[in-house]
Amino acid sequence: MCLEIISRDHDYHWEAGETSVSTLRAIYYVNQFFAGIGGEDKAHLGLHVYDEKKGPAIGIEGLWKGEMEIAKVLACGDNFINNDDLYASILPEIAKVVREVQPHVFIAGPAFNAGRYGVACAKLCDYVRRELKIPSVTAMYYENPAVEMYVRDNYIVETGETAGSMRQALPVLAKLSLKLAKGETIGPARLEGYLPTGHRYNQYHEKTGAQRTVEILLKKLQGEHYRTEVPLRGLESVLPADPVPNVRAAKGALITTGGLVPKGNPDRLKQAFSVTYGKYSIQGLDSIPARDYESIHGGYDTTHVNEDPNRLVPLDELRKLEQEGALREIHHEFFTTCGIGTNVESSKLIGQGIVADLRQEGVEFGILTST
Amino acid sequence: MVRLTRQYFDVKDVVWSTETSFKEGILSIHKEELLEQVKPLMKSVTNVDLELVKPGEDTRIIHLLDTIQPMFKVEGSGQQYSGFFGEPDTVGEGVTNLLRGLTVMESAPLPWDDSASSGLLYPRDAIMDMTGPIAGFTPFAETINLVVIYELVEGKSSAEYDRDLRLIGLTIAQELAKLTQGQTPDETEVFSIDEVNPDLPNVVLVWKCQNQGVYSNTLLYGLPIDNLVPTLLHPNELLDGCVVSGNYVWPAFKVPTYLHANHPILLELYRQHGKTLNLRGVILGRSHNPTNWHKQRSANFCIKIARCLKAHGLIMAWEGGGNAAVDGMLTIQAAERVGIKASTITFEFGGQDGTEGILLVDDVPEADAVISGGSIEKTYTLPKVSRVVGGDVLRLNKESGGYFPPAKESITFDTTTQLYLSGNQAGHSKLFAESY
Repeated sequence: MCLEIISRDHDYHWEAGETSVSTLRAIYYVNQFFAGIGGEDKAHLGLHVYDEKKGPAIGIEGLWKGEMEIAKVLACGDNFINNDDLYASILPEIAKVVREVQPHVFIAGPAFNAGRYGVACAKLCDYVRRELKIPSVTAMYYENPAVEMYVRDNYIVETGETAGSMRQALPVLAKLSLKLAKGETIGPARLEGYLPTGHRYNQYHEKTGAQRTVEILLKKLQGEHYRTEVPLRGLESVLPADPVPNVRAAKGALITTGGLVPKGNPDRLKQAFSVTYGKYSIQGLDSIPARDYESIHGGYDTTHVNEDPNRLVPLDELRKLEQEGALREIHHEFFTTCGIGTNVESSKLIGQGIVADLRQEGVEFGILTST
Repeated sequence: MVRLTRQYFDVKDVVWSTETSFKEGILSIHKEELLEQVKPLMKSVTNVDLELVKPGEDTRIIHLLDTIQPMFKVEGSGQQYSGFFGEPDTVGEGVTNLLRGLTVMESAPLPWDDSASSGLLYPRDAIMDMTGPIAGFTPFAETINLVVIYELVEGKSSAEYDRDLRLIGLTIAQELAKLTQGQTPDETEVFSIDEVNPDLPNVVLVWKCQNQGVYSNTLLYGLPIDNLVPTLLHPNELLDGCVVSGNYVWPAFKVPTYLHANHPILLELYRQHGKTLNLRGVILGRSHNPTNWHKQRSANFCIKIARCLKAHGLIMAWEGGGNAAVDGMLTIQAAERVGIKASTITFEFGGQDGTEGILLVDDVPEADAVISGGSIEKTYTLPKVSRVVGGDVLRLNKESGGYFPPAKESITFDTTTQLYLSGNQAGHSKLFAESY
């Protein structure tokens, strides 16, 4: 589903009986302000359907030079459409208009940095594309809250913060909407002018990596606008668990990201880029025997671990502590994966899986050994 | 005044012959005679053969280890690949002859047994194609490649294999480049950073290379850099072959000797020197530092040197995977905190469509100019080829008991980790993850 809009060929088909072949048709959505109804005092008004052009719909049609026309303009108050129940109440009417007009593209905005308007534009585009199978496009400022909510599956042309950037935004919106209407292949974000959806595919650039690495540094040094090719992820911080109140009365488990597995790697754990973990019995063992275990980890020299696996998973010392009463019990299985090049999402899934197992077994603390 | 003149001799073709010579761009090789010269170095090697692979050929090269730029020093201190066959004299001045458009490649199925490998330290099969979808991953689809094929003595240590393969490869490269002595080059390039334009920003390259043991080492004047704190190189030293690769562990991320001596980012900085920036130096250190403490110290040393060079800007480049990314990011952070602007290039993750998980193993808020070297989490289908050089079967998935498919046939990989140089962290390739 996530790739729907990004698929290189837009196979939107119309049934027989299509009315016009010569001119493409668009439906255009604006809010109460751009429809000329009024400002904040009219934000409560419901859906209006116009045959005449309103606001940016007037300007954009000229940019298509006769190749496409606006068949209908829809308008709605920002407060009205952002109420979930009221929004649901107008969808049947919107669907009806769309089915009657059979547009080749649905366009909304630009919403610039207006939050409610942005969300209205993006969710209508999302609905029309997803449910009515019509390609859609909107436009707004990159910090508009709607971007984070909808950009992954929808084309959102980048604009400035305010309506002052309308003149720059409309030609980009016009070009992209026409391409969508014609079913043409949509190029990358940086060339088409839409905000990156997060979809990334390997291609060959016109310049080498070395050239671009130097270029972006020069832009930084010269105070020019530059844009990173790999976006920052925003770090997620993990709060440490509360201390174990009484270790002497608690049951603990051994966990390692150092890749210790029974010889032969029976579960075929990966030595890098892990997606799974293994759990192996240590019941009745005083230490982990080198003859039966080995590390398959692909990121460090495993010689010392293979000589004595307890260097990685310290069962030998922990058994002594168990006998001394320093802890109640060591869980009868140890958990293992390879922490190397592991995607954060995979790491989370692995961690959640291990924790679920630990909870089920009544384990109260874990000792995680790495390398 | 430090000036290095590189004299380029274009190799238009390479042919087998009854004499070894270089005339008007044609390199003729008397195979037996050339191999005779490496006989004394064959201590853990029973036999060496040579194969030629040329641009446009429907050919796959496998079990790839290092790739070398053939060069021969004709004037100035030291010799080619300084530190291996003589004293570790400082290079980077004088005149060096290079055979342009030719590489010497090493290929061997190094043993996987316990005595000669471990979890990290085993050579994963590095694969390249001269044509087709992955040809653009390496610079070597466009060069004539003289592939040195080794047969190994059984039961030797990894250190012994590693040493012999390298010394044989370097010897062949230097013997061929030596043929250019006294001839007129096709092109001459002078490298100097002595002249500085005070109106332009000063820029340094930080180059952190993998060094975690035999099979994943980087050699500076002949020795591994595991205990080296970041140090200053004149850019010409790198261009003159002071760094040699001994890294065979991850095909996507390793950087061959050829790319150290023709470092794409360094050459680009040199092209801009005096025009848009002043190149001030190369700071060489280890990537994959063992602990956070070591990583922080390494980052701090890099920035200390950069400040001594009055750098305004810094390019952080590294060899290796996620571990190395942490070193790189800490260095960028340290730079930006003292007002030195930084950019970098790295491979990325993101899954098949770029939306899965997170793109980088590590980043810092200061890293706001990151160039994409391409995603390693993409599926590639290599087509069937008519010729394979280096062996008959691929050697994959050691940790799962091994998988040995026929090397000639079409094969699909769901990541690019086996594909030679696909990580693109020296910036040699145009591969990148385009944003949709």
